[in-house]
Amino acid sequence: MDQKEKRLIKKVKKGDQQAFAELVDRYKNSVFAICFRMVGNTQEAEDLSQEAFIRAYNHIDQYDHERKFSTWLFRIATNLSIDFLRRRKTSVSLDAVVPGTEGLSLNTILPDNGELPDEQMVRRENEEMVQSEIKKLPEKYRSAVVLKYIEDLSLKEISDIMDIPVGTVKTRIHRGREMLRKNMTAGGGGQA
Amino acid sequence: MSCASKKYLSLMNKVLDQEATEQEERILYEHLANCVECRAHFDELKYSTDLLCRLAHPQLPAGFTKSVLAQLPPEKRHAIRRWGSRHPVLAAMAICAVPMSLVIVGARRQTMQSRDKNGYVLVKVSGDQT
Ligand SMILES: [Zn+2]
Repeated sequence: MDQKEKRLIKKVKKGDQQAFAELVDRYKNSVFAICFRMVGNTQEAEDLSQEAFIRAYNHIDQYDHERKFSTWLFRIATNLSIDFLRRRKTSVSLDAVVPGTEGLSLNTILPDNGELPDEQMVRRENEEMVQSEIKKLPEKYRSAVVLKYIEDLSLKEISDIMDIPVGTVKTRIHRGREMLRKNMTAGGGGQA
Repeated sequence: MSCASKKYLSLMNKVLDQEATEQEERILYEHLANCVECRAHFDELKYSTDLLCRLAHPQLPAGFTKSVLAQLPPEKRHAIRRWGSRHPVLAAMAICAVPMSLVIVGARRQTMQSRDKNGYVLVKVSGDQT
């Protein structure tokens, strides 16, 4: 962790909210990406991301400065997402998503790369297909896979975030990867 | 996969986790060159993880940081302590205000907790009053 970040955290511990704003700017996109890939809905992911940062601020005294700040923050975000998924499971009918609305919200958050409309459509379809496959993973595989392939974190970092041994992280990633393979290449075609 | 042993599957995982030794990698690739099944399996694994890696990074609305800040509790315990040591008389006078602020902080905490239990979409604590 760099010196600037250490200074920022010291200030936050003294109640400096501007310093906290800098930390939010640093990590908001990563936190949002974790929450979004975990819950699959942009609005909920945004709410969860806000909640994660508010918790981090309120519990900054519990942050151990010997460890990476991002590890601690991503752990809050991951746990909040998992809690959310568990709660949603018990109230599915209330939260049932209207078909099509997720695609719309996904469209609004995709960066504009100046692609042709055809390319955009293909990419969007791909995005939706992959996202729906991620959603099918049991949450403990899903979090490991998201941290590995969306955040590009090392197995050690993932083990710190999820508070499980590296061996368990590997098992979860292997199983998650195998499930994705089976579902994404169903019928043996390969090109979904 | 009907290829005789699970040995190659675990080698694939090692290679994909970037934890295989050079020798293990060579053993796997030599096998893949001769085994259609394992080759297909490995290609499929790589195909699906490549798709994950290529996902776009979603973007948050511009006002995100501001709205996080607006929801932080106004409390500044340390700031008060620092100020108190510089202005002992005023601090003593301010002591009667402490119970009040504790009540306020406590109320804030409660709002947050009820948010936790009831879901995130219900209430947004508005920070505008401060
Ligand atoms: Zn084989």
